[in-house]
Order: sequence, then structure tokens, then C-alpha cells
Amino acid sequence: MRKQLLYEISKPVIAAVGVENVLRAIVESITKGTGAKGCSLLVLSPEGDKLYRRMSYGISKEYIDKGPVEIDETMREVLAGRAVAVKDALHDPRVQYPEAAEKEGIASMLSIPMRSYGGIRGVMRIYTSKRRDFSKDEIDFLDSIAELSGLVLEKEEERDRVEQEAEKARQELHRMSDEHEHFLYFIRMVAHDLKAPLAAVQSYIKVILRGSTGPVNEKQRTWMERSVKRIDGMLQLISDIVDLSKLEAGIIAPELETVSWKSVLESCVEVARGLTDPKGIELVVDIEPDLPEIFGSEVRLCQLINNLVSNSVRYTPSGGRIFLRAWQEEDRVIAYVEDEGCGIRPEILPKIFNDFFRGDPEAQEGTGLGLSICKRIVEMHQGQIWAESPAPGKSAGTRVTFVIPKGAICNLYYWGRYKEGKS
Amino acid sequence: MPHRILVIDDDPDIVDALAVLLEGEGYEVHTASDGEEGLARIRELNPDLIVLDLLMPRLDGYGVCKTLQDPRWSKWKDIPIIVLTSVSEDASQRRYELETGVRMDVDDYIEKPIDPEVVLERIQKAMARREK
Repeated sequence: MRKQLLYEISKPVIAAVGVENVLRAIVESITKGTGAKGCSLLVLSPEGDKLYRRMSYGISKEYIDKGPVEIDETMREVLAGRAVAVKDALHDPRVQYPEAAEKEGIASMLSIPMRSYGGIRGVMRIYTSKRRDFSKDEIDFLDSIAELSGLVLEKEEERDRVEQEAEKARQELHRMSDEHEHFLYFIRMVAHDLKAPLAAVQSYIKVILRGSTGPVNEKQRTWMERSVKRIDGMLQLISDIVDLSKLEAGIIAPELETVSWKSVLESCVEVARGLTDPKGIELVVDIEPDLPEIFGSEVRLCQLINNLVSNSVRYTPSGGRIFLRAWQEEDRVIAYVEDEGCGIRPEILPKIFNDFFRGDPEAQEGTGLGLSICKRIVEMHQGQIWAESPAPGKSAGTRVTFVIPKGAICNLYYWGRYKEGKS
Repeated sequence: MPHRILVIDDDPDIVDALAVLLEGEGYEVHTASDGEEGLARIRELNPDLIVLDLLMPRLDGYGVCKTLQDPRWSKWKDIPIIVLTSVSEDASQRRYELETGVRMDVDDYIEKPIDPEVVLERIQKAMARREK
């Protein structure tokens, strides 16, 4: 009860004035209140073999500087929980440095344990310049103050520990993000080195196919055309990995600006027509005028929509339709790309945004990264993306919808959040 | 007289493929394998058009563009440049702007791998613009 009460009192006091000031007030008030010469708070070392002066009042610097107090018989008694009074400090064999005490003008000493929740923290020592006894009442009262001191010290220790742990965590996080960035840098370098030879091979084949090196027979043509397709797939995979690593590392910072949804969508429609027209697919566009602006990456937002459209094109037969709609609802922009393709099996629907997920593992087209890139782009803009199949109100097809808040501010620390969210 | 094209690229395979393609179309093709050699060739040959890679040893493509902006190079500053690189246009423009404060002044930008039809079409366009 007493401990609880003292603890409750100490909390707001510490919060208001800080540990140092509380401890200083304690030693000063005790010295003045008891008519003593001075008072010290001695704190047990972490190893528990010495006592260090944490705060003193009325004691000379010289006396304090004589070093830590060894744990002798008397101290052991105090640390076991009993107050020990020494009336004649100059002649009592329990005093460790009688000469120093004499020089300091100490006649009597009272040592009281500083209890706390975690055990005894140390010793409160009161020094008097006149030889005197300490009454039981006095000791009892001082015992409360010693306990208060113990609680304050415990609180300080706890705060230091929390601070240390926080610092450790910060360093760890820093180290992790450094490693992460290194790794992503490595990926980008590898990607570039993979891309260069592929691009060279691809260039040769295309020049040969064009007939610049002489006539090409039918078989050669077919195989070279297939080679071109395979290399295209690899180049796409590499550029997807690079994009992914850039998004993960948050190094798209320079791309960020005020972006108008109108210009994003208009350029996407143009790209989309380039994909749908040759395949004989009808592109149905319904974009609300006066869509707001957001602070984000125009390149990435275009990439998001283009990815969704190109997925739809892949699964929509000739003569089918693809819908691109966008509108504003309250403080967000909602957009979807919907196709009339074969749809997505319900059991794989939850997985389609995962890295390297492929609906049809046999399929040679696609890298399995397109939708996971889309998801990152949307989340980076503080939005959400999901897929429905069959498309709402229809018996087939797929609709992928994303919602991005109007005032979205692109989050560069996105990857950190993403990792936390995943664990 | 055939149009003279200078290809500056450190990838010998890209250079070969381009040379065969362009020579097949009747262009006179010269090559250089880095920016410094490229600049020397520009002075020497006074080409009608430059196909320029960006990432190269010694002096890269950004460096070539920067040099051509220098008043001492004013004689050659109007030669049309087509950048041909594996770096995306967006990323390289940003880098150039960051370093120089102005946009990279090139006539066209093509990403590798080479698509012969695209390359030929862009070259024709750039030449036509220059002749106007």
C-alpha cells in the first residue's frame, strides 16, 4: 500500500520535473529537514558489488571523489533491508574511511535501504556533523523517502532501458534498410547486365528477320520469331524485377509530382487502343471529367492501368469488349478495368496479387509480376486494389478495381510498412 | 551522296547489327565505342545523324550531349541525335536534368532491343526534319 502510494505520487512528479530534479529535491530536503550535514543516494552497481553516489547534498566533492563504497558487513545488512545507524563515525569499526569522515566533519551516519518493486536499489545515507541518535519515528519516516528514491531510480532505469532498446531497434532497422537497399541495388545491376546481351541477341535476330543479311527460309523465320518472343518474355521479366525493386526501395521519389488523373487516363487510353485495336477488341471508355489531381507518380499510375489493360487484352477473345471506367466518389477516385474473358477461378482469386503468381503455370506469356507491381503502386498511393470474377452483374469476365484517395500523398517509406504488414 | 550516320555504342553486337541494318538501307555508317571516340569522330566526319547509347565507359552519352552544348562545339550542335539505350527515357531525362538543370536535347529516344522498322522510321524522320 505504501509502495503503491509512493509510486503513484512519484509518477506525475517525475513526469513534471524529471528524475534528476526529484532526486536533488530529495537529498536537499532531507538534509535541511533533519538538520543533517548532508545526504547521499548510493546506487548499487549492475554487478551488485559496489555502491556509487548517484546524488548528494552537503557533501564535499573530495569526499564524493574518494570512489565507490565497498559492500562490507554494514552495507550488506542495509542491503538486506535493515536501517543501520552509526553514532560515532570516527571510532566505529563499521566505517570504511574514518579519516575521510573526520576530515569531512561527519559525526554520525544513518544508512537506509532504497526499496523498489525490483528489490533494493541502493542505500540512502544521511550524515550529521553532531554526534546523535536516530529515533524509530525518524527512521520510519526516512525509510519512506528512501523507498520513494528507490522507485524513482527504478523508473529511471526502466526509462534508460526502454531508450536503449529503442536505440538498438533503430540501429537494427537502419542496418536492415541498408542491406535491403544494397540488395535492391544489386538486383538492378544484375538486371542491367542481363538485359544488355539479350538486347544484342534480339537486335541481331530482328535484323536477320528483316532480310538485311540475305533471304531467310520459312523454318528459320518461324524459329527466329519464336526466339524473339522468348527473349521478349525474358526482357519483360527483367524490367518487371527492376520496377519491383525500385518500388520496394522507394527510389521513385524523383517521379513524384502533382499528377492529373485526366492526363494519366488519357495517355492510358491511347496505349490501350494500341493493344485492343489490332486484336479486334472494343475498348469502352467512360471517364468522368473533372477528376482531381493527386501527388504521386504519373509514370507508375500509367504503368498500373496499362498493366491491367494488357492483362485483360491477353484473356479477351477477338470481338470481345474491355471497359475502362473512372469516377470520383466523395474524396477518392475509383477506377476499374473489366474484360469479357474467361475469368479467374475462385480458388486462385485471392492469390493473383502475389509475386510470381501465374494463373496458368503452363502459360508462356506474362511474368507473374504484373499484378503484384500494380498492388504496390496502388498501396504506395495509399489506395486499395481488388479483383472480382465473374465481373459484377455478369456471368463471366474479370473486373479489377482500384481506389486511390483524392489527397493521396505517395508514401516513400512504403516498403517498410509493407514488410511490417506482412509479418 | 548517301547520308552519313555515326553510331556510338560500347556494345559491339549492337553496333554490328545496326551497321548491317543501316548499310542495307544505303546509309554510310561509321562507329565509335565510347563518348570520347564518338566526339573525335563527330569532328572528323561531320555526320548527318548520330545514334547514341547512354551508358558507356570513359565518356557516356550524357557527356556527349553536354559537350555538344558547349559553344566550342556549336558547329556540330545541330546534328540530330537519336538516343538508343536500355535505360528508360523517363529515368535518363531525370538524371540529365538533375545534372545539368535542362532537358536532354535529343531528336528521338529509342529503347533497346532494336526494332529495325522503328529505328529506320525514326532515322528517316529526324533526317527529314533536318532537311527542312
